[in-house]
Amino acid sequence: MTGERRYLGVDLGSTTAKAVVVDQDGAIVSSSTIAMGAVSRAGMQRAVDAALADAGLTAEDLDGTVSTGYGRRLVPGAQRTFTEITCHARGTSAMVPGCRLVIDIGGQDSKAITVDDDGLVQEFAMNDRCASGTGRFYEVLATAVEVPIEELGALALKGSTDLEISTMCATFAETEIVSLLAQDAPVADIASSVHRAIAARTLALVAQVGRHTPVVLTGGVAQNPAAVAFLARALDTEVLVPAHPQITGAYGAALLARDADRRGRPVADDVAGADRLFPRPSEPHSCGSCDGTIDTGAAHAVDLGLPVRLGG
Amino acid sequence: MTATMPPLATPDRTNRLAATRHGNRMVAQYWDDLFTARERGQQIVWYNGGALNPIFQAAGLAWCHGEAFAARLAAQQLEGPAQLAGAEYGYNAELCSYSRTHLGCAVLTVQGDEGAQTGVVGAHDQAELAARLPAPDFFVNNYAGCSTGQQWDEISYRVFDKEVPIFNISHPFLWGNKADAGYLQGEEWESASRYVRDQLVDLIAWLEERSGNKFDWDLLRESMTYIKRAAELRREGLELCKAKPAPATFWDWISAIAPINFLPGNQELVDYFASVRDEIQHRIDHGITGIENERYRLYFDGIMNWNKLGFLSRKFAEHGVAVMAGRYITNAFWQEPQLIDTDDPLLGMAQHYLLCPTNHGTRTLDYLTLRDCEEYDVDGIVFHSTRTCRAFTGPQRLLARSAQNNLGIPSIFFEGDVADASFYKEEILESRLAAMLEAIDVKRAQAS
Repeated sequence: MTGERRYLGVDLGSTTAKAVVVDQDGAIVSSSTIAMGAVSRAGMQRAVDAALADAGLTAEDLDGTVSTGYGRRLVPGAQRTFTEITCHARGTSAMVPGCRLVIDIGGQDSKAITVDDDGLVQEFAMNDRCASGTGRFYEVLATAVEVPIEELGALALKGSTDLEISTMCATFAETEIVSLLAQDAPVADIASSVHRAIAARTLALVAQVGRHTPVVLTGGVAQNPAAVAFLARALDTEVLVPAHPQITGAYGAALLARDADRRGRPVADDVAGADRLFPRPSEPHSCGSCDGTIDTGAAHAVDLGLPVRLGG
Repeated sequence: MTATMPPLATPDRTNRLAATRHGNRMVAQYWDDLFTARERGQQIVWYNGGALNPIFQAAGLAWCHGEAFAARLAAQQLEGPAQLAGAEYGYNAELCSYSRTHLGCAVLTVQGDEGAQTGVVGAHDQAELAARLPAPDFFVNNYAGCSTGQQWDEISYRVFDKEVPIFNISHPFLWGNKADAGYLQGEEWESASRYVRDQLVDLIAWLEERSGNKFDWDLLRESMTYIKRAAELRREGLELCKAKPAPATFWDWISAIAPINFLPGNQELVDYFASVRDEIQHRIDHGITGIENERYRLYFDGIMNWNKLGFLSRKFAEHGVAVMAGRYITNAFWQEPQLIDTDDPLLGMAQHYLLCPTNHGTRTLDYLTLRDCEEYDVDGIVFHSTRTCRAFTGPQRLLARSAQNNLGIPSIFFEGDVADASFYKEEILESRLAAMLEAIDVKRAQAS
């Protein structure tokens, strides 16, 4: 095998499209994330084009392509689709060897996946009927309290009073938030209370598969420090966050394409994880713009009085 | 009704039993007979829950099983007008969609321009099946294990201004948690059986008094003799389906529910189930399978999503999944025919009403589920989390956990409903099913 083999993973999700190119060692060559209004072929193509351009490749240069996400069947050129469950487990296990519970909170859905010592799926639970507890839920909150989504986490970490918030429904929660604002409740308290309630809802999702540690949070919501911190408190354990939590699914898809090629099998006929993932040579997941460091949300965890230990 | 996107085209890899088509014709004939029962001078009873039809048959009545009628409307995509009528009347969309549909029919019947004169709904489109249900002369409720079901006929009674006589049979919940308790055994089982049987005696006397018809005990015994034989043949067919690859699937048995659930006990019913069993045996003898290229065997827990029967059967077959069995077919509908004493059938009938799959404590359900999963040698469980049927969905998480812990069998959940298609979304089932099958592939690859 030469050192020039390249594999593409595409995760066409509900609100973002992600594309990752890896080499034969599983190292990330390039990646891209494109925000969309919804599942979008155009957004997916932009993500693929950007990742390929960044890697200096064309589609013809690829040795395998795997797609995942809600729009996985819309990706042209993919030899195989795998579900997000399989891909997130594969990608996260490679990024954080030894992780046992993956919590992925995306734009419109959330998942809890337990993985075994080999990084293979044991059990999973999904909450994808209702947007409660997902990225969409945080967007609703940000809009209601008139704070940019990027500043929401910092605001929530300033809250001190636990207000009553239901998380049965994102729409209903918005009504509650408006009601609390009308009662002149501090926005920081509202924000922190919503984060706390969402963490409790995620805890219920985790309960379906059982608590396991180490815990890794992925998906766009993992970029919100308060979401990480409140989830850590709810689980009473540290929560690890990969440096690029949004691309774990696409990364896992790319690795699955690589795995098949390494076994000398057509991607279309391969079984995900048919070989043992660990122990194996480390799969460096630096994307070139970072060192692949795992973020524990440590500063925020300290703010909440939580134990902190670096994972990974 | 809101228009929904058509599902992505899927190849049909099913090989459904031919024999069930005759059952469909029998059921269609039954409904046609019911729709014209008033014209023949028959009195009509609306009932819910366990299969009281042999009693009604012996009492000289025509009968309408509410859930069955709602299921039929849903299966034919005709539930809309009744559900809208129910919604307008005030029945919340979270209410059991069986009852919502049937209560909507009651509302339409009462409001119908011709209803008062003819007993036939006339308010809306006469061409629709929902508009052909004759008004009741009696209500009888025979619901076990479901609080909504136990109130359903009471609410219908109110819709009809409390002018239609009603009889309610009370069923103790089978907790199964006493020291001597077990499936079909223990003091709780024995006492509950006698308690319900005594109420059946009262029901028969009540029907005689109210209808003016002398109850025909010989006809009851004869009817139950046929039903017992049909149930035995059904069980034999279910046993044959344990073969690998499966000669028929859960979806075939779903198609065969209506005949065993509410058709009259007669020779035609026996012949029907003999034909079903014989076709399955023929398939085994000749290597004919229920789906193309069976790769996985799954158990299905949940009431049927009646709007989606054909679609779901194709969906699972597309993935190479033979759905083998499920609580709704394996543990319901005269499933223990040995309990029926044809000379004195009331006790066995009462016991079957108690054996409604929503009327067991979790310990018994766990026993039944694990037993079936092992006997049918399944790779996983699909839980239909029926949105408006809490009675069925309540224990499902516990059952899933037990299957994983005790048998190493994974599960997935998808949401849908018995008679309201709006709760079902294809991608949710597709992604979860595919994820579970991927995990099963890995497990097999590692074991090989």
